[in-house]
Amino acid sequence: MTADPTPSPATSAPAARRWFALALGVAVAILVAVGAFNAYIDPFQQFRIATRYPPRYYTSLHRYIAPGLAKNAAYDTLLTGSSIVENTRNDTIGRTCGGVGLNVAMPALTGYEQGLILRTALAARRLKRAIVVLDFTGFGGAPGARHPLAGPLPTYLYDRNPFNDFPYLLSWGVLVRSWRIVEADASERFRTDAAAPWWWADQKRFARSEVLRHLDPRDLNAQFPQPTLEIEAMRVSFARNILPVLEGHPQTEFDLVWPPYSIIVWGDYVQRRQLDVTLAFKRYVFEATRELANVHIIDLQGVAEVTHNLDLYTDLYHFAPSINDWLIDAACHDRHRVRADNVDALGAALRAQALAFDPAELEPK
Amino acid sequence: MLFNSYDYLLWFLPAALIVFFALGRRPLAAQAWLTVASLVFYGWWNPWHLPLILGSIAVNFAVARALQRGAGRAILAFGIAANLAVLGVFKYADFLVANVARLTSETPRLLHLALPLGISFFTFTQIAYLVDVYRRKAREPVLVNYALFVTFFPHLLAGPILHHSEMMPQFAEATNKRPQAANLASGLFLLTIGLMKKVLLADTFAPIADAGFGAPAALSAPAAWIAVLAYTMQIYFDFSGYTDMALGAARMFNIRMPINFDSPYRATDIREFWHRWHMTLSRFLREYLYIPLGGNRNGEWRTATNVLATFLLGGLWHGAAWTFVLWGFLHGLAMIVCRAWQRGGMALPRPFAWALTFLFVTVSWVFFRATSADDAFSMLRAMAGIDAAPAAQTLAWLDSVEATLAGMLSVPPSWTLVPAAIGLAIVWRRANSNALVQRFEPTLANGALTALALPLCVLQLARVTPFLYFNF
Repeated sequence: MTADPTPSPATSAPAARRWFALALGVAVAILVAVGAFNAYIDPFQQFRIATRYPPRYYTSLHRYIAPGLAKNAAYDTLLTGSSIVENTRNDTIGRTCGGVGLNVAMPALTGYEQGLILRTALAARRLKRAIVVLDFTGFGGAPGARHPLAGPLPTYLYDRNPFNDFPYLLSWGVLVRSWRIVEADASERFRTDAAAPWWWADQKRFARSEVLRHLDPRDLNAQFPQPTLEIEAMRVSFARNILPVLEGHPQTEFDLVWPPYSIIVWGDYVQRRQLDVTLAFKRYVFEATRELANVHIIDLQGVAEVTHNLDLYTDLYHFAPSINDWLIDAACHDRHRVRADNVDALGAALRAQALAFDPAELEPK
Repeated sequence: MLFNSYDYLLWFLPAALIVFFALGRRPLAAQAWLTVASLVFYGWWNPWHLPLILGSIAVNFAVARALQRGAGRAILAFGIAANLAVLGVFKYADFLVANVARLTSETPRLLHLALPLGISFFTFTQIAYLVDVYRRKAREPVLVNYALFVTFFPHLLAGPILHHSEMMPQFAEATNKRPQAANLASGLFLLTIGLMKKVLLADTFAPIADAGFGAPAALSAPAAWIAVLAYTMQIYFDFSGYTDMALGAARMFNIRMPINFDSPYRATDIREFWHRWHMTLSRFLREYLYIPLGGNRNGEWRTATNVLATFLLGGLWHGAAWTFVLWGFLHGLAMIVCRAWQRGGMALPRPFAWALTFLFVTVSWVFFRATSADDAFSMLRAMAGIDAAPAAQTLAWLDSVEATLAGMLSVPPSWTLVPAAIGLAIVWRRANSNALVQRFEPTLANGALTALALPLCVLQLARVTPFLYFNF
């Protein structure tokens, strides 16, 4: 076996020492300069809310920017949910709920990520209210499960440990975005409206025809394939990711919201035999939180005037901004609240709606 | 802790070096420090695995002491069995349970044990040590020295697999506890080359391979070949880059470890490939498995059986799955064919021999990378154009892969070809990292390369990865 070869004996110690010191010194100097530059520009607002330049809310980098907002923005009411709540304005939250709102929505959010952003926000400040919009799919899989397309989660941005800032400060991707801010280069898609950082409703059409486009009534799951859910995994995920947050912050009011998917989603659950598991999960969440005085459950899934009106949707899951506003209003004014005396009736009514829905009605006439 | 991490590069390695050399006048203290640092390195990911490696060291040291005092073959057998039992429980138990359950049509009750990092490496290192002690080729009376030999962090997670005889004299050498500028400089240079291979090349080829192996049945034939070639590059740059980082770090501590890769893709037959690829594993398997099985001493048929057994177990060593066994079987078979061919005295033209070897190695990687035998055969079918997507879809597939890469690297899409071009040049260029470090001189050119490449690699450790959920 050949050993790691010895360098040429001609290498003199002083020359090697000088080489080592210079090479390492220049490398360290470059890293220090990049770190300082990234800290100064702070493109993802991890140290301060951007004031020296119009903030950039990149449309595909929610997971990098949201923790910075959660740590540094001034707010007392937090909204967390998946892409279905991205069209909620911060000022709407504040006006409706009587405070200062912050929307930290993330597309394809999972229970793990929802728990993480809640803990990040609650570690940074005392919240008056947190509106937690729950998605069934987010609680499928293991407690730490994440969407396969979501890329690596930058967990180093979700804490206050300064030693964990190196991956942010010493990152080529961050450097490129810092430089683009200095250069006023707008080649990457982003928004600058701090009141509606994740808004995309202006790029979509909300209409029945839009919902039915690409939809196969015989396989409603085909358009946005969702995994099969198992109740035990969902329970474990909720118990590990969300419940400790609710229990650990009794001074914060938590509104757990079941969002108003279109009735087609319930048709899909019937098609895929997922109706029982989703209703069982809703029941579990109610039972798990019924003793917590600071937790309210708001259920908008059985409101037929909304869920059956496909003109309010752009696809089977995503609804129009007016429904986002209605959701915030319901959460903050305790409308459609689930209580011990109506939980069974709400579940039964939703089951009846789901079973009564006939996907064949969606076929073009 | 991984070599390609901020923790390792920014504080662990500098701190380990500074304190080690600060303690240089007290050799035992320096070695104890290096052992403790190595255990911190090992436990960083999961401290619960520390008792396992400490227990393994204690038992093997005790067995070795018994062998040094004249204990017989039974104690050696106990030591080897204990090592294999640990490896079996953590690495192979679920594989065994799942296969038994499949045969009996019962639901498998899997253990789901987390695989301790580097368990295959530190287990094999210690088995080799016990055998050498039994053969009176090795002897180590000091526990700290032995613990350092096993845990020395540059080799702990991914090799090279070390011989006691090549390491202990170096650990014992007092002058190795003093900083030596030539080793610091050439070590930093080698570490930087390794980091470039890993971060700039392997991690750039990875998404192309992942995209292909993630859905092999949906690929066109050209896309399937591109994905497999990307994996061929990824695995080489990943493993050899990691090895270069290991050798570079060890060298900074004035320790020379055996080289593990020597431009394997330039091999012109499969025997040469195994003399150039993961060389210390080849050495281990040859000395502690193939030769004890009889080697080539008992006729052609028995030799072929021994070769096949060695490669089957070598395949299984890489992972507890039938795909690895199949991969080992293919290489064992190729070795037998190659051996027979060469005994027949038939020589192929060199370019043809190279192409055939590279093609075989590339195709066999399909079994190494695929997550199941079904996926492996899907990929092979796609490569052969059987049930494959139309070739016209290749460009669309490439566009989506290019967009993923461009987003990940934060560079314009056309730049994503640069790492591929550099990678190919490195694979077929004459001077590999071993040669570069052998003729290392502190010049302005390699100084500039190190000074620029090192920060560039560090800046690529944490990539800003856009969310690729196309609708929203």
